[in-house]
Amino acid sequence: MKLIARKPALIVFAALASGLLLAGTVLVGSAWAQTKYKESPALAEEVKAGKLPAVDARLPEQPLVVPVVERAGQYGGVWRRAFLGPADANNYVRVVYDSLFRFSPDGAKIEPKLAAGAQPSADYKQWTITLRKGSRWSDGAPFTADDIVFWYKDIALNRDLMPAPPPWIRNADGSPALVEKTDTYTVRFTYKEPATLFLTALANADGADRGYAMFQPAHYLKRFHPSYTPKEEVDKLVQAAGFKTWGELFATRSQPPENPDRPSMAAWVSESRISDPVFTLRRNPYYIGVDPEGNQLPYLDSVRFTYFADTQALNLAAIAGDFDMQERHIVMTNYPVFKDQERTGKYRVITWPTFGGADAVLMFNQTYTADPEMGKLMATKEFRVAMSYAINRDQIKESAFLGLGEARQGIPAPWHPYFPGDEWAKKYTEFKPDEANKLLDQIGLTKRDAAGIRLLPNGKPATIEISVVPAFGAWPDVAQLIARDWEKVGIKSVVQIRERALHFTMRDANELMTEIWNEDTSAFPFTGNAKMDVRNAVILTLGPLYTKWLATKGKEGVEPPPPVKRLLELVDLARTVGPDEQVKAAQELFRVWVDNLYEVGIIGLTPMVQGVVVANAKMRNIPTTLGNDWPLRSPGNARTEQFFLAR
Amino acid sequence: MIAYILQRLLLLPVLLFFFSIMVFAIVQAPPGDFLTSYVATLAASGSSMSAEHIDALRHQYGLDQPLIIQYLKWVQNLLTGNLGLSLEYQRPNADLIGEQLFLTIALALFSFVLTWVIAIPAGIYSATHQRSIVDYVLAVFNYVGVATPNFMLALILMWLAFAYFDIGITGLFSSEFAGAPWSGAKVVDLLKHIWLPALVLAIAGTARLTRVMRANLLDELNKPYVMTARAKGLNEWRVVLRYPVRLAFNPLVSTIGWYLPALFSGSLIVATVMNLPNIGPLLLRALVNQDMYLAGAILLIYCFLTIIGTLLSDILLVWLDPRIRLGG
Repeated sequence: MKLIARKPALIVFAALASGLLLAGTVLVGSAWAQTKYKESPALAEEVKAGKLPAVDARLPEQPLVVPVVERAGQYGGVWRRAFLGPADANNYVRVVYDSLFRFSPDGAKIEPKLAAGAQPSADYKQWTITLRKGSRWSDGAPFTADDIVFWYKDIALNRDLMPAPPPWIRNADGSPALVEKTDTYTVRFTYKEPATLFLTALANADGADRGYAMFQPAHYLKRFHPSYTPKEEVDKLVQAAGFKTWGELFATRSQPPENPDRPSMAAWVSESRISDPVFTLRRNPYYIGVDPEGNQLPYLDSVRFTYFADTQALNLAAIAGDFDMQERHIVMTNYPVFKDQERTGKYRVITWPTFGGADAVLMFNQTYTADPEMGKLMATKEFRVAMSYAINRDQIKESAFLGLGEARQGIPAPWHPYFPGDEWAKKYTEFKPDEANKLLDQIGLTKRDAAGIRLLPNGKPATIEISVVPAFGAWPDVAQLIARDWEKVGIKSVVQIRERALHFTMRDANELMTEIWNEDTSAFPFTGNAKMDVRNAVILTLGPLYTKWLATKGKEGVEPPPPVKRLLELVDLARTVGPDEQVKAAQELFRVWVDNLYEVGIIGLTPMVQGVVVANAKMRNIPTTLGNDWPLRSPGNARTEQFFLAR
Repeated sequence: MIAYILQRLLLLPVLLFFFSIMVFAIVQAPPGDFLTSYVATLAASGSSMSAEHIDALRHQYGLDQPLIIQYLKWVQNLLTGNLGLSLEYQRPNADLIGEQLFLTIALALFSFVLTWVIAIPAGIYSATHQRSIVDYVLAVFNYVGVATPNFMLALILMWLAFAYFDIGITGLFSSEFAGAPWSGAKVVDLLKHIWLPALVLAIAGTARLTRVMRANLLDELNKPYVMTARAKGLNEWRVVLRYPVRLAFNPLVSTIGWYLPALFSGSLIVATVMNLPNIGPLLLRALVNQDMYLAGAILLIYCFLTIIGTLLSDILLVWLDPRIRLGG
């Protein structure tokens, strides 16, 4: 494999040779094989010029057949898009959704993508993944079980690269699961416990978060890895690139958006870097997918991300019709302007409401200590219920959400199997200021000052600070409206709009009283970093001291109360039981979540989070409804490779 | 003169040393570090990172070391001409800054020339035709130009261009040229886009410069030597252009020094709003994301330019006006 290293002529030769070999072995004797699949005219030219093997030889024996949304498309064209710089790498991740398995467009199923299939053992402790025979990396090298084993052995278990293996390949005791190659195209994962969420994990093991996808081009990356290349040679490369450690070098070399040389399996591969002002992807001639008529995908020649320093400038460019399809960073508050300008015919507007949860929820810190009296109050359920009843959600919906969505708690959408029922979706969301006042009186906040603000037992006015990050459109407005409602029942409310990093630092330090965020991952309570699991430190104001207590095994922090512990039990349970039991566990989890109201849901099921789609009128095969959520990598689950520009 | 310049140059490293401390302190001032803001960005786009991974990265980037150590390492790198590695871009800062430098300078010079070409004649005309209709009209324009924030002007012009001429004006290039290598077509594309941002950047400067020029010239026009020249029967234009205008330049030249760093920093908000690929937005981003070595490198370059610029304007002044003496 070292031959493919540096010389372009050799790459072509190797690709050609292996292509011919494949054509010779697999398709031998089938005269019609030459015309079995069709390809882009641009690639056909290259084949004619002898730069590429024929399309049939480039595709695996059984390609992925991708259903089309409207009709089989036409080849060619550039998908113009915008991004906000290197930190916006998820923009790329969502477009390519490069993984072995992926979510279906509605988000309800998990389907094979690069892999041909996966088979669990009867007890779900063992999973066997089958790859597609004859599939190839974008440089023509075969894609095999070795590429997964390389990831497992040399990345996931390498402490220089990963401080700990990804949670989904760990057993309950923290040890890594066993990953073995059984033959060229099959890999077996063995866990100590049943791993019923295995496929969900695979659907997210796609190299997001600047992490590592669970399959890596071993033939290319070995040259940057000291296990395969002498340390001195790697060190030379490290120094030449200006890095300090080989881990830093390896990270940038292995991540497609940062390195156009790295072979990829995605429909489009990087042509420039994400740190460039324009980040371009071009068609992968070896992409494993075809449409039902046998046309190799993708239809579009390239994807071009243009850098924007400012979201509003990006939105203005979208209104000017500069993008062919963009949902990321399109701000919902601009929705009326988009609709108004839709008449010019340059684009159409599609909305994809969130798939689960609420688009603004207010969470109370259960372990707030800076003001013990307020901390105690926030840890009192009656208080939280009163605060929920005091909010006029209809008004918030009209003024901050343009009348879209509905008042609801942060639980999955009604069409999702984890939905526990309307009773919980709507619980405590009515506007009942009288009830709120009654509850507040009951818990002893009866004295008020001259301005009508209730007094705490220590004589100070009851004051809540709402910390809000202007990350998604309307949150600061939501906060202001809540504050006004709360003042009416005698709770003084201060809105603090904070810069993200400051907000996060304060959250870690247990300095936030409340915060507004969304509940966009609520359809996935058992994977990723769901908020209901206080062991996840990242997206949480619920109880930083609970998190600490659990992390230090009770030495520091505060012991979580029984309902919070029950949430953890349910998460652990769901990770080891079959699908039906998972649904039951999820429903109970959401009932506990809503009954205790650690978090007050405001408005949900709006297209606020990347749900307003601006698409060129000519850009076709974009679904009009789509499960829209981060774990689904939307628009990735819309199967972007079948998007096309009609002529 | 040479001794004076040498003396000033010798002072440069000392000043830079103090500036480096200040820059580092400023960049470090916000709470949290690059990883806090990185995790915040991730969370806002839906994904997250395990606490172990964050800690490991913090260690890898050396963010867990005491500030003094971080500072010393940074300075040590700087002394060897290494501006360090951007945490966000994972690329050498020198490359990142270098890439944007050309366009930054091109845009700045364009607007600089535009400013002077408009402002000097306007200033001269206003001064020589004091209290005429044109003078008043120019005055109104100038006040509006000074009073309107640049970015506001940019937004208004962008909207007007879009609403009435149906052209989207963000960036300096059409998207097909932005990443392309330089070519004739790319230059034409640049010229198509550069005029509006340059105009926006030039307007406030023009307004200010016109007023300064007018005031300076009015001072000079009443001086006896002008009257003498007139009395000797010199043509009015020659009288004005020969001496008073030249002297009126003095205060303008003395501000050229400030112009040098402003070339780079002045356009920060406008560049962000108009999506111009120059150093301003790069700095803003670096500060927001706490990409401290990148922000530090850019700030230090600003400091350096300020020092050099001041020196330049001192030298220019001496050259322009022999009445100004060095020292005592």
